[in-house]
Amino acid sequence: MGCSSSLPDRSSRRLSGLGNPESNGVPDAKNLRVKLVLLGDSGVGKSCIVLRFVRGQFDPTSKVTIGASFLSQTIALQDSTTVKFEIWDTAGQERYAALAPLYYRGAAVAVIVYDITSPESFNKAQYWVKELQKHGSPDIVLALVGNKADLHENREVPVQDGMDYAEKNGMFFIETSAKTADNINQLFEEIGKRLPRTPPS
Amino acid sequence: MENADVFFGLHDFLDRMRQPSAADFVKSIKSFIVSFSNNAPDPERDSAMVQEFFANMEAAFRAHPLWARCSDEELESAGEGLEKYVMTKLFTRVFASLPDDVKVDEQLSEKMSLIQQFIRPENLDIKPTFQNETSWLLAQKELQKINMYKAPRDKLVCILNCCKVINNLLLNASIASNENPPGADEFLPVLIYVTLKANPPQLHSNLLYIQRYRRQSRLVGEAAYFFTNMLSTESFISNIDARSLSMEESEFEKNMESARALLSGLSTDLGGSNKSDPSIGNSLKAELLESRLQALNSGKERKSSFRSKSFETRSVSKDVHYVKDESSMAKVPSLSDIENRGALMLLKEDLPSIVFREYPYLFAHTGDLTISDVEDLLNNYKQLVFKYVCLSKGLGGALPPCHPSNSQVHRPHEAETAKERQDNGAVEPNDETEKHIAMTNSSSTISLAGEENFESKSPLDKAVEGKEETSH
Repeated sequence: MGCSSSLPDRSSRRLSGLGNPESNGVPDAKNLRVKLVLLGDSGVGKSCIVLRFVRGQFDPTSKVTIGASFLSQTIALQDSTTVKFEIWDTAGQERYAALAPLYYRGAAVAVIVYDITSPESFNKAQYWVKELQKHGSPDIVLALVGNKADLHENREVPVQDGMDYAEKNGMFFIETSAKTADNINQLFEEIGKRLPRTPPS
Repeated sequence: MENADVFFGLHDFLDRMRQPSAADFVKSIKSFIVSFSNNAPDPERDSAMVQEFFANMEAAFRAHPLWARCSDEELESAGEGLEKYVMTKLFTRVFASLPDDVKVDEQLSEKMSLIQQFIRPENLDIKPTFQNETSWLLAQKELQKINMYKAPRDKLVCILNCCKVINNLLLNASIASNENPPGADEFLPVLIYVTLKANPPQLHSNLLYIQRYRRQSRLVGEAAYFFTNMLSTESFISNIDARSLSMEESEFEKNMESARALLSGLSTDLGGSNKSDPSIGNSLKAELLESRLQALNSGKERKSSFRSKSFETRSVSKDVHYVKDESSMAKVPSLSDIENRGALMLLKEDLPSIVFREYPYLFAHTGDLTISDVEDLLNNYKQLVFKYVCLSKGLGGALPPCHPSNSQVHRPHEAETAKERQDNGAVEPNDETEKHIAMTNSSSTISLAGEENFESKSPLDKAVEGKEETSH
């Protein structure tokens, strides 16, 4: 496993929870605020990816305090747009699958994660893609992520399989390693580029 | 701190409402409340009306000289103040006002009261590393406070506090065990477990109320995420079946049956569940009968149990539904019934020591203890007291002293007053852990103080009451 170095820094964040959400500026075409939901089997490293992303670009003003299952992070894109991701983690165990619609409702982005050493998790990822195509909002940006790319000696899902599946379904595909931070920023930057440039209603 | 700001904001809001130039605001608010109260309840329309009113008023505040050169935070506080004032006034009209919602509350509460009897962390995929039932009681306590407040924000704070306690415990456990930091895979199962054990009062109605009347622009981001987790917890619990707990159908049914039997205190069911050893079943029945007779003969105990029934309406206890339940209304088992029964069951256990694993100090000698055990012991003690008081209250019976040398006999109403005092006190005698992990409870204290101010001094009140008097 291994992203334990990416613990959220508890000391430097102040309470927010109920805080006024608009204090960082009202979202507009140049400053997007998007809800991103993470789906995937338990243990594929969903929360590790987010922690690596948030920790890697540590923002001392980030006001996330309650826990690592919700984190937010703002990135600046090359076209001088900023994107504030509000990242909603979901429980990946089978018994909680039916609850997912409560989380992906209204999401602009869904990141579907599998573990390249686990074919079952790749099957589960395909299940989520189908579910989102059926029930997600029509203009949702979908990304397929093969995590734990550092464990290539245990690889059971070939890169090509992920790529082919993503291409067939019009998704963005990338392999990442939360452990080495490989491709983590690229993932979120690429998502940012693919967002429709209209302010969220 | 944010909570203190809001407190300040409430007073600030009221101060501004007392200004002559706020007369129009006072008029709008009071006429909104009066006109709203004249309509028949219709949740969809009511919610839309309230949300629209908040939005309009907040826009008007922003444009008004009273808030000239004020920061966004101050305007936000004014919005909070308005929300709290209006919703406190409309509370009885809009909270759990439909019979259907009340029914769902009761069904949900009954289900939780049954499942909490046998659910294990493993049934929800909570890994051993993250199991910490003693500390979860702190999270349960936060959730159980939800009916102490009327304002949507204060109720939401109870939920967020509960989530925060859970997250901090998970984070500490992950650090201690060198596990990956906890995400939703770890968090949601614990929230469900904690909710089942807490059985918070009127959960369904409380969630609907927050959803409808918390200002929508403030139910976003992190608060929205954790509120959604609470909604999905409710959904999961109301759909719990054998499969969702990874149990065999027969095992689940058996567990539900014995939970029902335990709750209704029906000795008849016991005969069935003890078929393998009829002699124990019979002697148990005899014991139960005997203690019930004793209870009948004890006027004092009867009186107390009646008195506790009269507390139902205002009690924040999670367990009032047990007393309301028709089947148990007739024969609420006394504490000694349960105690006797438990003792017999213990005797039947092959390895009683396993039962006591959760209480590591039970067989300890004074000499074995070190200073570092104090915190642990205190936690254990609190857990026991809390469980005991809850059980006693839930049964609606008198509380016999749980310590032989304790000459003071606690009665339910005394226990409750003491609890209220503790919960409302400016300084809660919490242990270090809770101080460290929970969002400060002073917001709650402050909120209540604020409410009193509203009730006693507000010009809005005077105006509205004046109008009500003349219109009657």
